[in-house]
Parts: sequence; structure tokens; C-alpha cells
Amino acid sequence: MIDRSRRNFLKLAGTMATGAVVSRYTTEVASAYEQATEGDLEVVWLQGQSCSGCTISMLQGQYPTLEETLGEFRMEVTFHPTLMPEQGEAAIESMSTSPDVLVLEGSVPTEMPSAATLGKRPDGTSKPLVDWVTELAPEAEYVIGLGNCASFGGWPAAENKNRLHDVGENVTGAKGLQFEQREQPGVLGPDFTAGSGLPVINLGGCPPHPDYMLLTIATVLNGHTPELDRYNRPKPFYEPLVHDNCKWRGYFDRGEFADKPGDEGCLYKVGCAGPYTHCDDQTRLWNDGTSVCLNVGAPCIGCMEPGFWDRFQPLDQEVEQQNVFGVDVETAGLAAVGAGVVGIGVHATRKLTGYGTSDGNGDGGQSEAGDPDHSTSDADRRSGAEAGGDKTE
Amino acid sequence: MVEISIDPTTRIEGHHGMELEVEEGRITEARSTMKMFRGAEIITVGRSPRDAAQLTGKVCGVCFICHRIGSSRATEDAAMNAGAFDGVPEHAKILRDATEGIFFLWNHAIHLFALVGPDYSDAVADTGFDRLDPLEGDGYLGALENQRKLMQALAEFGGRAPHPLAFVPGGVATNPDAATVETVKSRVREVSNWLGPTEAVPDVLENVQNGAFDPDLGEGLHDIVSILVAAAQEGAADLGSGPNRYYSNGLFRDPDSGDRIFKRGVYRDGSAEPMTKEEIVEGIAEDTEYSYYTDDSAGSPTEAKPPEPDPEKDGAYSWGKAPRFEGETMEVGPLARLAISGYDPFDLRATLGGGPAESNTLNRLVARAQEALIVRDRVLGLLDAFDPSAPLMADFPDDYTGTGVGLWEPSRGTLSHYVDVEGGTIERYQIITPTLWNIGPRDGEGNPSIIEGAIVGDEVADIEDPIDVMRTIRSFDPCLACSVHVDSPEGSYETVLEPASPGGMTDVGDD
Repeated sequence: MIDRSRRNFLKLAGTMATGAVVSRYTTEVASAYEQATEGDLEVVWLQGQSCSGCTISMLQGQYPTLEETLGEFRMEVTFHPTLMPEQGEAAIESMSTSPDVLVLEGSVPTEMPSAATLGKRPDGTSKPLVDWVTELAPEAEYVIGLGNCASFGGWPAAENKNRLHDVGENVTGAKGLQFEQREQPGVLGPDFTAGSGLPVINLGGCPPHPDYMLLTIATVLNGHTPELDRYNRPKPFYEPLVHDNCKWRGYFDRGEFADKPGDEGCLYKVGCAGPYTHCDDQTRLWNDGTSVCLNVGAPCIGCMEPGFWDRFQPLDQEVEQQNVFGVDVETAGLAAVGAGVVGIGVHATRKLTGYGTSDGNGDGGQSEAGDPDHSTSDADRRSGAEAGGDKTE
Repeated sequence: MVEISIDPTTRIEGHHGMELEVEEGRITEARSTMKMFRGAEIITVGRSPRDAAQLTGKVCGVCFICHRIGSSRATEDAAMNAGAFDGVPEHAKILRDATEGIFFLWNHAIHLFALVGPDYSDAVADTGFDRLDPLEGDGYLGALENQRKLMQALAEFGGRAPHPLAFVPGGVATNPDAATVETVKSRVREVSNWLGPTEAVPDVLENVQNGAFDPDLGEGLHDIVSILVAAAQEGAADLGSGPNRYYSNGLFRDPDSGDRIFKRGVYRDGSAEPMTKEEIVEGIAEDTEYSYYTDDSAGSPTEAKPPEPDPEKDGAYSWGKAPRFEGETMEVGPLARLAISGYDPFDLRATLGGGPAESNTLNRLVARAQEALIVRDRVLGLLDAFDPSAPLMADFPDDYTGTGVGLWEPSRGTLSHYVDVEGGTIERYQIITPTLWNIGPRDGEGNPSIIEGAIVGDEVADIEDPIDVMRTIRSFDPCLACSVHVDSPEGSYETVLEPASPGGMTDVGDD
């Protein structure tokens, strides 16, 4: 897909090591953009069972903006349901059949294919998203699962708790592209790779931060291979633990907990999933550095993680199984004070309480101790077998 | 007869298609098809009422704040009816209104500039008006920049946008200080300056007609008025006519008087009828004759057997249900609000659109533009009235048994959430969205939905490019994510319906 002139540009821009992810908008990225003036890259952006929140999130990107990314990389969006000028057949006809980048937003209903359709089949019936995805993904150079639904099934895959209407636990059989919750496969098989050789790049989040998408595109189009964790998420975005960078962390360490959202204190007891959730939003902040969920007193709901919804449900109650090593959270908080006094510091405390890992073993802080349930998924086992390697291939 | 299928309809939110039959250049039959189902209510049942706001708040990433507030109001109403909750603090109500107002501005900007505006741009319709060419025009790009500022303002209170987490049952879980409020105001003012002064509308109208552009009178205003003028010239006033029946839940309570800026009630037979919450709730029923839900799922959202998905149902063509008010279709949205409240700033609908309460494609755009100015002028007042040092959260109970209804009025029109809670667990849940009112399917009596009726009778000049149909569809600002899972099962359990406590179902009780 990368033409000759683009290769030259990549050489110019290619000062980063393979495996790196452009995680910040830098002057280097800016100048790389400026030189990317040759050749059009075709993008197809599909929506499955989506709320369009990921598209709206991307519109909030500032460094770079969505329009800069599209314009300066000369990305031609051949299909995007919300933004494109065309409609109907003309819209379908303009869609690239072998896109450079295929983006999916929203999950794919596999048990009830008619629950998300787009356009018509030759016989005049509605064409299910699952067909679109299985046709287009193998033809794409890069495939991006944008948001928790497209990556892991997300919201539509949340449990039908009362087993209503004989439609099963997963109402429509909603799956992500290569995962269903924390398990493989999704719609595509575990061995699926796009033309670039990469699996589906998952950008979890409900919604994901716009930078995650726009900088991931910058990374791959700069010719770098992003280092992915075991859920195929780019590591720099999904390695930090929310809990580590939370503004209320000091309250946790002192054992001072809020009674309700909005109160002063650590929000752990009102359901905060921060100790189990990985993203760098605490430092990156949202909406041009404005704020982040925890900064306004709203507990983290774990939206960046596979299994989001039921893994942290009920969202308003203390995440269970914090007691991994027999230390309840209040004791742990108090222990942290003591530990601080004797100079052991927060890392030791975290080990005590089992909130993620801190020893840089490369698993993105996703050790079993950090998981609020003890089930070991396929992906988990694979990861374990690889002694810290995160990629699933 | 020619059959036209438009799938996807694009530049709306969600999956939608339109099936048309055309005879002698005129549309004789229209079927509006919602093409996605997720099962939001099925998923919501069995969970904590607090989680309802988290979960249903995410049914739509465009209308994110509206559903969180609508759901919170339903569970709060249920808790109040159960005698377990005293209500939301006054300044949380003001903050919800102010935030919804900022959301209105954001949504109207996105709709006018990025979704419907391009229909009148040079790129799409050879109008010579290239400022709204998608992703290229200066007006389009300017709107993208300004919508980001409004989202920043929303994130100051909500933590992030879209999908802010701070709006929860019991109030608003945020602790803004005076500086935060000032920052929000300055963001809104920046966008306000881009938009331009309300009183400049007549001058801008003249500018646009003379091909002049005066940024001092507002770049945004010039572009919006350009859309309206282009739409008028393209004959939009003669397109998409509706039955002139409107419904609104009302919004923007004046903190001093308690009156709403936008009134609650309906407009029919040429006059507005103010209504209480109880009258509104009693008037609503849903029909599933042409929906992919079982036939015995129809009825009042507070009582009827909840709908059960039936994807193979004969004759069905939409994942949406057909809500009706006292048996009739009702148009909802900016035009409905302004018609019910009697507002027509600068007589734009009277002079351009054939009358202030005339339902047509042009008037829907005009009303949205007028409303953007009305709300802009209102938001700063609400922020002035908001005291960040006042309590914003009340204790919300975990364990209660009761039923509740949350009426809310997002930018696209009326929204209602219905919940039955049994011992702290949701036993039944239902949502009726604005888009269902406007673009759902026909009902068992054969009455077409608002959009289906609006399109029938219109001419199609070019069946290869039915742009006027698209203009009419987009004039409703349809948003389908939330509309296609309107399914509220109650399963095999038995729910005890608690009678509403005095005041609980009235206009006064929970607003």
C-alpha cells in the first residue's frame, strides 16, 4: 500500500525505533505530516452496533485533529456513515474494497445478524455487518477496532441478567473484531492478520481518547509497528494504571474514602475500577487537557478494559475481589501510610494489595492479581505462557 | 411505479434506510427503516438503578448527556415515589439545565454544519455555497473547531465529552469551583462570538442575500443564515410537510419563577395545550404492528407487556416502535418546542416558512437556528444563577421499591425513561426517544410516522439522486442509536406496581 514517495517520507520521519508508538503529538509528527503529500490512503469506517460516540470522540482530537490527520496524511475517507456527502447506493459504491485502513466502530451481532445491517445484498435483502467485516478485513492493510464494542463486544455484549426473551446471555451475540470480552475469537479468527501482518489493533474505551486513534494512525503510517499488549492494544496508551495516576491516590493511601460520588476522598468504595483499568487518560486528560472522569468526582467505570460492564458491575459498588491477598482495601490504605513512613513506598503497597503490577515485567500491569475476577481467559493463558509477552501472535 | 431504496441514508446518527415508491414523479409510499438493535432495556434489567444511568447514558454517543439525565430522573422519580428520596438539590437541577443548554448548542452546530448543512453546499448540490463543503469548507472547519470548545466546556463539569460520567442519580457528582464556572462561561462566550449577536440576524440575512460577509456580525450566523436562504431557494418550505401536531416535555426552568422557557405540552388543531407530567404519561402508547417485536408487545410504556424481539416477523420493517400520543403521531424537536411555546424570533418561520407552526423541511432548519440563538442567550444566564458552592449531590438510596418516569427534552425532542425497581434491582425498563416519534414505522391503524407522512406527496425530480428526500430526512436530525432498541422486557417475574405518591407524577414533584 505504501508507494515510493511515501517510503521516502517514512525514511525521513523514521527516527523512531520499530515497536514504538507515537504517543504524543510532537514537532516530529507535525513535520512528518507535512511531508506526507503524495498518494491517497483510503479509509473505510464502518459502524456496527454503535452509538457513534467514538466518531464524536474523534472529532474532539486536538493534537492532531481529525481533519488534520485526514488532510495531511491525504487520507480519503471513502466511507463514513456520519460524515460522508453521499448516501444510498452512491455511498456504497464510493467505498474502497481494499482499504488501507479499515475502522470499525460498534460491535458485530453474530447471533442476530439483522441487528446491524448496511446496504443491500445482490438479492435485495439487507446486508449484515458481519458480512461486511469478514469481506473487507482480509483486504485491508490495517484494521482498527475503535472503542470497546468493536474491540471486545462492549456494551451490546453486556449480560442479559434475567435471561429475558430466550435470546441468551449475549442478546444479539455481539462480538468485537477479534475478541469477545476477554476471550478470542471475535468475528475474526485468533490468527487473523491484516495485510500489514498486524492483528486487529484494539483501541478500547467507551469512548477511547481521540489521541489513541489519531496517533495510532500516525504510528502505522509512519511505518512503525506498534507494540501491542495481550489484548492487542498499543502499549503506551494502555499500560499505565488509572489508580497510579489518580488525583485521589493520596486519599487511598491514607484510607480516606468517599461515601458517594462527588464527595472528597478515594472513590474505591463507590465502585471505582481505577485499580484494574489501564489507560493514560489521568495524565493525558480529555478535551484538550480539560479534565478526566476521576478529576470531577466520577468513579472510573473500567471502560478501557475488555469485559467492561459485567467485569466491574455493579458499577456503583466496590469492585469485588480486591481482597486478593487477604488484605481489605481499608487496611491496605492504612498499611500504605505505614509503608510510606518506613520508606517502602507505594509500589510495595500495591504488591501487598495486588492492584496491578509495578515491576515493569512488560505485561502492561495486567497480572492476574490485577484482575477483579479469577477466571483465566485464553488470552491470559497465552500471555502467561509467553513470560510477559503481550502480543497474541 | 418506481421503487427507490436509500440505504444507508448517511449524515445522520445511526443505521437507517428509506424505501420509497414513486409514481409519475411523486412519492406515493414511504417506509422508514431503523436497521439496528442492541437490546438496551434487556441489558438494563436485573441491574442497580444507579447503573441504569451509566448504561442507558451510553445508548447514544451523540446525545450522551440527555440519556444520563433522563435515566437519572426516572430512577430518582421511582425513589421519590417509594418515599426513599427527597429530590435533587436545586443547584444540581440548574447545572443539569445549563449543561443540557451547552449540549443543545453543540448538537445544533454539528447538525447544521456537518450533517444537514452540506445538503445545501456546493460540493453536494452545486449551490455555489462552498463554505460547508464537508471537511473542506471554511465554515465546516470553523464549526468543527467551535464544537470542540463546547465539548471542553462540557468536560469541565463532566470529566470528559462525549460520555461524561459525572451525571448520576442524586444530582451531579462534580465539585466545580468558581474558576471552573468562569472557564465554562468563557468557552461558551468564545463560541457565542463565533456565532454572532442575535440582533444581527436581519443584517446578516441582508448580507447573505447580497453575497456579503461581515465576520463582525458572526461567521457562524452568516453560515447558518446561508443554509436557511439556500434551503428557501431550493424550495424546502414546500417539502416534508407534517400534520402540525407537536409534543414537548419542556425544558430550561427559570430558577426564579420555576416556569420553563420551553413549555411542556402539545400543539394540535392550531393551538398549544400546556400539560402536566401525568397527562403526558397517560397519553403515550406504543404500537408494534410493523416493528420487529411481537404483536402483543404494544401499549403504554408504564403498563403494557414489554416488547419481545421478533427479527423474522412478517410485515415488519423497522427495529423502531411506533409511539403515539392519544392515538396520533406527534412531531418533536426544535420546531415542536418553538411552536408550543409560541416563539418565532424575527418572524422567520412566518415569512420564510409559510407560518410559525407550519411543519416543513425549511421550518425545521429555521427553528433549529432560532433555537440555537435562544438557548445561547439562556445558557449564560443559567451559569450565572448556578452556585458552585451549593450542594450538588443528595444521598441516593440503594434499596427501594417503586416505579418512576423521567421526562426530559434533549435537542432532538422528547425523551422519556420508565423504570420499575424492586428491592433495589431494576425489573423493567423502557425508553422512548425523540427519533422514534419522528421516524419510527407506521402503526396498526395504517397511520404513517411523521417522516413517512412528510415524504409522501413530495416530488422526486431525479430518482438517481433523490436529494430533496435526503434534505427532509436530515431536517429531523434523526439519531438512531437510541431508537432501535426500544424494548423493555419484564420477563417471568411479577412486578408490583406501586401507586404514584402525591406529587410524584405531577409537574411540580420532580422537576
